Amino acid sequence: MTALDLPAWSQPFADVDGLGRSMRLGGISKDWAWGGSTGSGMRVGIIDSGLETTHPRLNGRVVRSVAVEMVDGEPKIVPDEPVDLYGHGTACGGIVLGLAPDVELVSIRVLGADLRGKGTAFAAGLEWAIDEGINVLNLSLSSKSEALYSVFHDLVDRAYFRGVALVCAANNVPAASYPSLFSSVFSVAAHGEPDPRRIYYNPAPPVEFGAWGVDVPMAWKDGGSIVATGNSFASPHVAGMVALILAKHPGLTPFEVKAVLAAIADNPTRDGPGG
Amino acid sequence: MVVDDDLTAALTALRAVARRSAVARNLQGEVELRLLQSIVDATVSLFDAEASSIALFERDPDRLEFRVASGAQGAGAIGLSVKPSVGIVGFVFSSGQALALSDVTKDPRFDQKTAARTGYVPRSLAAVPLLDDEGTVGVLQVLDKRGSASFSLRDMELLAIFAQQATTAITATRVRRDTGRLLADVLQQLRDDTLTDAQIEVLVSEATRGLDDPSEAPFWRLVDYVEVLRGLGEREVLLVSRILEVVADHEERRPRRA
Repeated sequence: MTALDLPAWSQPFADVDGLGRSMRLGGISKDWAWGGSTGSGMRVGIIDSGLETTHPRLNGRVVRSVAVEMVDGEPKIVPDEPVDLYGHGTACGGIVLGLAPDVELVSIRVLGADLRGKGTAFAAGLEWAIDEGINVLNLSLSSKSEALYSVFHDLVDRAYFRGVALVCAANNVPAASYPSLFSSVFSVAAHGEPDPRRIYYNPAPPVEFGAWGVDVPMAWKDGGSIVATGNSFASPHVAGMVALILAKHPGLTPFEVKAVLAAIADNPTRDGPGG
Repeated sequence: MVVDDDLTAALTALRAVARRSAVARNLQGEVELRLLQSIVDATVSLFDAEASSIALFERDPDRLEFRVASGAQGAGAIGLSVKPSVGIVGFVFSSGQALALSDVTKDPRFDQKTAARTGYVPRSLAAVPLLDDEGTVGVLQVLDKRGSASFSLRDMELLAIFAQQATTAITATRVRRDTGRLLADVLQQLRDDTLTDAQIEVLVSEATRGLDDPSEAPFWRLVDYVEVLRGLGEREVLLVSRILEVVADHEERRPRRA
């Protein structure tokens, strides 16, 4: 297997020397981007396995919980119990709050016992969240369904044009998965440096951003906490950063927020052209 | 009548394909298991781990079944079934996302009972989905690296490569899955006003079930369903012929045992 066939996982962020940049947007610092911001006024949707609203790490910030139910093969949005079937959604929500403590969280549950992670349920949950006007959506999951390619494409475009930031964990196999591979989303893989605000920009997509995703301490089911690794946990770090930026600079489009993140990224600086 | 003759020939060919498929599946089931076994053997060796196993998604009822395992602590997992929504393996299956945990015993979701049934409760674990063109078909997991308390990104990359090999082995050998997909595709071509989605699902499900049954009897029901489509015009009959060509071609190209 050649290097090109390797999974779109973490290699760009394992040796960050390769991410050296000689040119980047000037005049934008982390302090400018989010200094003093707590994410206040932003709503972040967690499209996942649910949010355990009473979990101490979620700090009472969950304002709404819905689930996608399959009724006669058709997805339907219904109010959800304030629970998390696995712990994964709660983990992601807790990571977002660790960066942006004053955001409001919305749980959109598309994983679970009766859904088996159906791609159609995922798409329906995503559509609902976009139409609700939730500012930032964290998607630490993906679909490989070719049949849903165009559905996700339409939804991702709709989100982009409405200014909704979709933050997606990259999958870890060398195959297409949606919507993390679409160009307008914030596609995220993991780096191993234990710093929640450290971010890398990868100028050679599809994976555009690297955030902490190795041995991350996080909230889990039943009031618990664990240490886990995965792109799933890098993505909510970026979702948190995006919420901080948007709270301080309301009205920035996803395209502009991406540019800000690229400008403040911790990539090494390299002499010479290109990069 | 020409149409009827064509149809009869087509059905005869379909019966032959069914019989061959059933035989091939029986033979290739072993090949699949041997390939998967070699992958978990390699995984255990490379990671110097206590155990590695592969669980595959099976229907009726929906479950993840541990088919192969390796390592000093692996043997107890073989044959175990868990609900696809339960535990870490269930999460990885449902979400299609890889996951590594440094201390599973602190994870309230970790299914202690299932682990206890295998005779080995791990400390750390890494699990990656087996993804084919249609979605997640199973999960590859590794328990407890001896030299390290946790899994690195490099470990996850390697594991993803093993997972891809396992998926290739499964898709290359799984006659049932292939045949099901093939039938679904070709029946889609025939649909127009003749077949609804539900009917296509029935046909494919009959075909799939038929291959599990040594008597092959349910597969003949599929043939009967096809016979019901006698209202076919000439164009549709041509399509049936093409279907059979495709199926036959698929049969020819698949490597067989001597």
